[in-house]
Amino acid sequence: MAKLIYGIFDDEEILMQAIPVLKAKGVVCKDVQSPFPIHGIEPLLNFPRTRISIASFLYGLSGTSFALWMTWYMMIHDWPINIGGKPNFMLYLNLPAFIPVTFELTVFCAAHGMALTFLLRSKILPGVTAPIPHPRITDDKFVLHVDVKDESKTNEIAAMIKSAGAQEVLLKSMQFS
Amino acid sequence: MRGKNISGLKDHQDPKMEKKYWKGVEELQNDAEFVRLKNNEFYENLPLDEVIGKKAEESNLTPRRDFLKFLGFGVAAASLAACEAPVRKTIPYLIRPEQIVPGIANYYASTYFDGYDYASLLVKTREGRPIKIEGNPLSSVTKGKVSARVQASVLSLYDNARLRGPMMNGNAAPWTNIDKAITDKLTAIAAAGGKIRILSSTVISPSTLKVIEDFSKKYPTTKHIQYDAISCSAMIQANKESFGVSVLPTYSFNKANVIVAFDCDFLLNWISPVEYASQYAETRKLNSGRKEMSKHYQFESALSLTGSNADVRTGIKPSQQLSYIIALHNAIASKAGAKSAGSATADGKVIEKLAEELWSNKGKSLVVCGINDASAQKLVNSINSMLGNYGSTIDLDNASNLRKGNDADLAMLLDEADKGEVAALFFYNCNPVYTLPNGEAFAKSMNRIDLSVSFADRPDETASVCKFICPDNHPLESWSDAEPRKGVYSTGQPTISPLFDTRQMQESLLAWAGTPAVFHDYMAANWKAWAPEATWDKIIQDGVYEKTASSPSSYSFNADVSGISESKAAGAIEVVVYEKAGVGNGAQANNPWLQELPDPVSKITWDNYLAVSPKDAREKGWRQGNIVTVKTAKAAVNVPVLIQPGQTPGSVSIALGYGRTKAGKTADNIGWNAYPLVSMVNGLLSYSATAEILKTADEDYVFAATQSHHTMMGRAIVKETSLEEYKKNPNAGNEEELFEVKVGKEISKKPANEVTLWDEHELGNHHWGMSIDLNSCIGCGACVVACTAENNVPMVGKDEVMRSREMHWMRIDRYYSSDFDPKEGEKGDVKLMENPSDMPRVVFQPVMCQHCNHAPCETVCPVIATSHSSEGLNQMIYNRCVGTRYCANNCPYKVRRFNWFRYSDNPKFDYNMNNDLGKMVLNPDVVVRSRGVMEKCSMCVQRIQETKLNAKKAGRKIKDGEFNVACAQTCPTNAITFGDYNIPDSKINQMWKPKERSYHLLEELNVQPNVFYQTKVRNIEESREA
Amino acid sequence: MSGNHEAVVRDPLILGKKTYHQMTEDICRPVEGKANKYWWISFFIAFAAMLWGFTCLAYTIGNGIGTWGANKTVGWAWDITNFVWWIGIGHAGTLISAILLLFRQRWRMSINRSAEAMTIFAVICAGLFPLFHTGRPWLDYWMLPLPNQFGSLWVNFNSPLLWDVFAISTYFSVSLVFWYLGLLPDLATVRDRCVTPTKRFIYGILSFGWKGTARDWHRFEEVSLVLAGLSTPLVLSVHTIVSFDFATSIVPGWHTTIFPPYFVAGAIFSGFAMVLTLMIVARKVLNLEEYISLQHIELMNKIIILTGSIVGIAYITEFFMAWYSGVQYESYAFMNRAFGPYWWAYWSMMTCNVITPQLFWFKKIRTSVMATFIISIFVNIGMWFERFVIIVTSLHRDFLPSSWVMYSPTYIEVGIFVGTIGLFFTCFLIFSRVFPVIALAELKTIIKKTGNQYKKKGI
Repeated sequence: MAKLIYGIFDDEEILMQAIPVLKAKGVVCKDVQSPFPIHGIEPLLNFPRTRISIASFLYGLSGTSFALWMTWYMMIHDWPINIGGKPNFMLYLNLPAFIPVTFELTVFCAAHGMALTFLLRSKILPGVTAPIPHPRITDDKFVLHVDVKDESKTNEIAAMIKSAGAQEVLLKSMQFS
Repeated sequence: MRGKNISGLKDHQDPKMEKKYWKGVEELQNDAEFVRLKNNEFYENLPLDEVIGKKAEESNLTPRRDFLKFLGFGVAAASLAACEAPVRKTIPYLIRPEQIVPGIANYYASTYFDGYDYASLLVKTREGRPIKIEGNPLSSVTKGKVSARVQASVLSLYDNARLRGPMMNGNAAPWTNIDKAITDKLTAIAAAGGKIRILSSTVISPSTLKVIEDFSKKYPTTKHIQYDAISCSAMIQANKESFGVSVLPTYSFNKANVIVAFDCDFLLNWISPVEYASQYAETRKLNSGRKEMSKHYQFESALSLTGSNADVRTGIKPSQQLSYIIALHNAIASKAGAKSAGSATADGKVIEKLAEELWSNKGKSLVVCGINDASAQKLVNSINSMLGNYGSTIDLDNASNLRKGNDADLAMLLDEADKGEVAALFFYNCNPVYTLPNGEAFAKSMNRIDLSVSFADRPDETASVCKFICPDNHPLESWSDAEPRKGVYSTGQPTISPLFDTRQMQESLLAWAGTPAVFHDYMAANWKAWAPEATWDKIIQDGVYEKTASSPSSYSFNADVSGISESKAAGAIEVVVYEKAGVGNGAQANNPWLQELPDPVSKITWDNYLAVSPKDAREKGWRQGNIVTVKTAKAAVNVPVLIQPGQTPGSVSIALGYGRTKAGKTADNIGWNAYPLVSMVNGLLSYSATAEILKTADEDYVFAATQSHHTMMGRAIVKETSLEEYKKNPNAGNEEELFEVKVGKEISKKPANEVTLWDEHELGNHHWGMSIDLNSCIGCGACVVACTAENNVPMVGKDEVMRSREMHWMRIDRYYSSDFDPKEGEKGDVKLMENPSDMPRVVFQPVMCQHCNHAPCETVCPVIATSHSSEGLNQMIYNRCVGTRYCANNCPYKVRRFNWFRYSDNPKFDYNMNNDLGKMVLNPDVVVRSRGVMEKCSMCVQRIQETKLNAKKAGRKIKDGEFNVACAQTCPTNAITFGDYNIPDSKINQMWKPKERSYHLLEELNVQPNVFYQTKVRNIEESREA
Repeated sequence: MSGNHEAVVRDPLILGKKTYHQMTEDICRPVEGKANKYWWISFFIAFAAMLWGFTCLAYTIGNGIGTWGANKTVGWAWDITNFVWWIGIGHAGTLISAILLLFRQRWRMSINRSAEAMTIFAVICAGLFPLFHTGRPWLDYWMLPLPNQFGSLWVNFNSPLLWDVFAISTYFSVSLVFWYLGLLPDLATVRDRCVTPTKRFIYGILSFGWKGTARDWHRFEEVSLVLAGLSTPLVLSVHTIVSFDFATSIVPGWHTTIFPPYFVAGAIFSGFAMVLTLMIVARKVLNLEEYISLQHIELMNKIIILTGSIVGIAYITEFFMAWYSGVQYESYAFMNRAFGPYWWAYWSMMTCNVITPQLFWFKKIRTSVMATFIISIFVNIGMWFERFVIIVTSLHRDFLPSSWVMYSPTYIEVGIFVGTIGLFFTCFLIFSRVFPVIALAELKTIIKKTGNQYKKKGI
């Protein structure tokens, strides 16, 4: 008997209505796989809001400070050179010239840092093979993952999902039909 | 540093074998590995086989892949070849020759005279190679100054076209055979009483004259004929008739308040230009103390360099020359109550005014005339004697020897040759087949001469039709002495042992005279006799020996000029020939430095052309680049047209010295030979003729000009004023512009260069700077060649100059005035301002890197390949440069030069940097820049460093004027002054501080240059408003 | 959210009767099916051009920049002209995907994928020029802040060229990431439709094993939003910094504070023109007319009118300032542009950039595919001339008349430029055969709002 049941829906709106119904019946809706983002589904599955944007901000901050340090170190501290009579006695004197680089490095770090975090966090990386319960979940099928605590209830739950509007129900152990 | 050199060079002299220069110690030892590598283009093997080798040939099944492979290979190979950094190997001396310390230059006093240009020299040698020519300050003639042509002569020494050894009937032969053959012939001829003639250009070497004397003693039928391609024969003749002395006078332009010149380019080519230029400049120097300057009138057809510097220039056709001289003569005569010459038609107003000024400057004036016409010269003599200039500005006692050519003798020789009477003919320092009006005819007559010998250093036009070529040493390989002026001697010593199997002409003659001798000993012996009180070594070391000149006596003019009246032979169009600053009479035409030196006036390189006046061009419908035929009575020359403002309408002019056919790779078939336009007029070579001009081709021949825009567009680039204005206000034309500056609350007015956002950087012990006096600069271009020689500036050839890619670190901008130049405060029409006047005023402005303290070029370089030194220099770090060219774009003066190609070891640029011989001229203190890097004037930083090190070793400070940069050093007019702002009373501070004429170029940009200019002042009664 | 439907008054963005599956079919067809002959023809032309370009490039590297037409006075010419032109073209992509995303413009979804691809390829083409216009390209890495072999001789952070290095590399890498993240779900779609195991394997790698769980989608959307927020100032900064190359110099005609906004507007202007040129061809060749409809074209044309007018005003302002400043060098520089030897470049710029786009005020022209195509080409040409005018005519006559010269290109330079065009189209054609050219997943989220048949249902 299976631990996990997939409810295959073919319309996100039916799925959205199904989830609360099932939850009311005490069915544990673990996750959903869909071909495109279904807005507003996170609360139904009670997912917390992602903090990735905060991470991005921090990456950006580190980029800024690195840029400022680098320009100061290279132009002011390590080897100050008289370039066209431009002042290089203190960082702030020459700062206007360093703004562009600082900005670019900020964006660079923020963007790439965030993208990497995202990929790592969601384990989306080259070579990872995706768990595909149904060949058309990236096309037009919507899959509801339901967790089964008590294996004896498997069929019961499956029935519930069907009645909630799923076209078909797959058990993890079964082969795809 | 000047050391005497007698034995040092004789050590490793090997007359038998031709010199060879090892690429490295491996080649010397014929290292097998090296020999293998030497034949490979690339140091490491490229994957050739895989692509075009056997394997590929066999498998010609897949052409598509091959194509891709080839493409890939193309990229790879090209990139590899390009990226390979050159590996240079050096060899230490096995046995170090005495006097040669690696890295330390030796200076030898020497003398240069090629029958045309004279200079007393200091030759800078490194590791035994002469690399730079500098003036000998001890000489009272050239005063340590050197002209462009003499500067470049050091490259002619390393000319690949030079003969490697003597030739007999077109084949190389050892000297012994040649000597035998010639001596036999000579004895035979002498026995038969056949005429022996030695044709040479002016010879000023007393020892050489003695040699010729000895030779003619042995062969009594010998006659020595001197002939100058550009002759002053008429002057000598006129002086004979006027004063009974057949000599050229010595002039003192520096004593003249009024200078008048008739078709006489005395600043660039006439007799002793360097001497005259420096004297002339003395009279043009202005400062807080001295507010008077000479006034210079010029009457001429072509716009010469001298004419473009004149205060008042009148354009006259060659046929009017005599008329104007007569008019002036009569005007003066009437004041002096002397007999007047025939009547003449001339612009009375100019002449009257001129006569007035001359008369009021009696004894302090000078009239010179460059026309090879006896009556004209006689009139000028008469004018000068009426003005009492003999004894003050003109000196006949200490006569000049620099032009001795006698046209009558030449005519006689030609006649003899024509008749086939000449049995033996020797050519020394001359090339008649090329320079004679009827060279071909002469060449034909030569094969009837039994014994013809040329001493030319190359199989030139004349030598190649001679039976024998006995190549003479280059002046820098020779012992020589010279007497440029009576009682003024200079000597020359070899600065390198002969590169090839050549022999000094004097030694050859002595050998054939049966008294073989080493010329050095021969000379030494002479000098024992001539200067018993002086020690030989001292003379050689100083390079000069000058007797105290007898004070010039005044001469009474006793010739009759009343008979002279103007010649009626006025043509619709008259052609004059002239010489260019670079190529001159054509003797050094194979010298790329001179070919690429822009003509001071037209700024055109690598060409001569027919200069026509804009007026004629408009009327006759000539466009620039049209090919026309210039037809005179005797000759016709095809040549492209150049529209030259300042050319007198009705006259056209063309430069001599071009169209060489046997000078060498560089010169052959460059330009057109204008010598055929010269003609013999009553026994004198005449350099102007009436001509007709036929347009033959409508094509647009393109000239390689370094400047394609000619007016200042109403911008204050060359600041200019009149003497009158200047006397009133020393800041005239250079009024300081003040800008309103608001700091915090209070508002102040400041000049541009004091307005700044930031604190300045501290400068170190020195603050180098340069002053350029636009009033002294005559634009001759000597500095350009000096810079080229000092800094290994590559020559790029005509095509690249056409693409505006010349590499000269310093250039001389030339601007014409425009009829549409705006007056004070008004705005002109920019389109019209582009057109120069038909008869423009001309200004010259040397421009090199201005070494800005707020350099725009430095800020924009992404890799800091150019930065500012603590001594105010704008440094270029070649090996850091990646070549973005951003600095050049951002340079307001456009003085940065980019290495578009690899200019050394590149067959596409086959000049001195492409052969081992030519490379010997390179200055080891200055790197040869690689492809793809930016370069520019460094203010001769290598000289600065050397001097600093010497001062440091001696534990002292650098004294002001202790050393000089190459351009300033050679400048005949001392227009350029180099110095240290940090020395309070340094010359440069004295010039900057008064802030009278001194200004920065493009001051309003506030880039704070360390180079500044001095306003040009014209001696004309005219205020700017008028 | 996805329940509420869009107002009926808005025209549908997606025509025809589309189900999710139908959309998948349509958009994956080019990737799965065989290429038609138009594709092959255009591919070979583009490829040949690219090879020719590379040959010229190799020749340049082998012999030196002297093989180009630049000289002592005009140090930059075609090289930097092309660089700025390509960079500008790139901007439209980022603009569409970032700024329009922030503005919640749904119509962008049909075109953002290919527009972003265009950005990537354009930036590659652009990058070639600064890389190879240097005298010693093999030393370009010296422009990175690395300690050099003699110790720590660093780069010059005062130099706009160095700012460029940072700006372009950031711009390129960020756009690449943005683009590729967006591709992941669609690559997954392709993967799951693959029949052959090899294809399946490759797309499996390419799609990073995308599984499309609610969590992933949630993060995915957040990331896209933040990236959009970052890219927006980035894209503006890039062309601002490119314009600094000129604006911070002292060359009359370059030294202008108006450059940053003027360059950015110009970039978007030319970018959209290029997008149109491409899309009009692509929708035909890949028959996607129902996804890239006339409405899309019209909307883009409106943006072209706007930016075109901004550029026009910039030109006029420049002239006014030149006169108003009273600086003789400045005013001459502009007189010289319009009436000097390069007048023809200036006036072709004016016609192409200022006059032609104004035709879009007429709805007839705005909505005609053919007219749009032609005008878009005009704009591309005009924008190239704009950069040529700014760079060459300013340089060739600056402060000292003695250094004034003329410039003319050599066939090598022209060859390299043609080569980059070839490279650009080669890349784009390959892209159109390998990746879904329309953001499938994104589009599916709006089909119910703006899909044609749903609209009918909605009433």
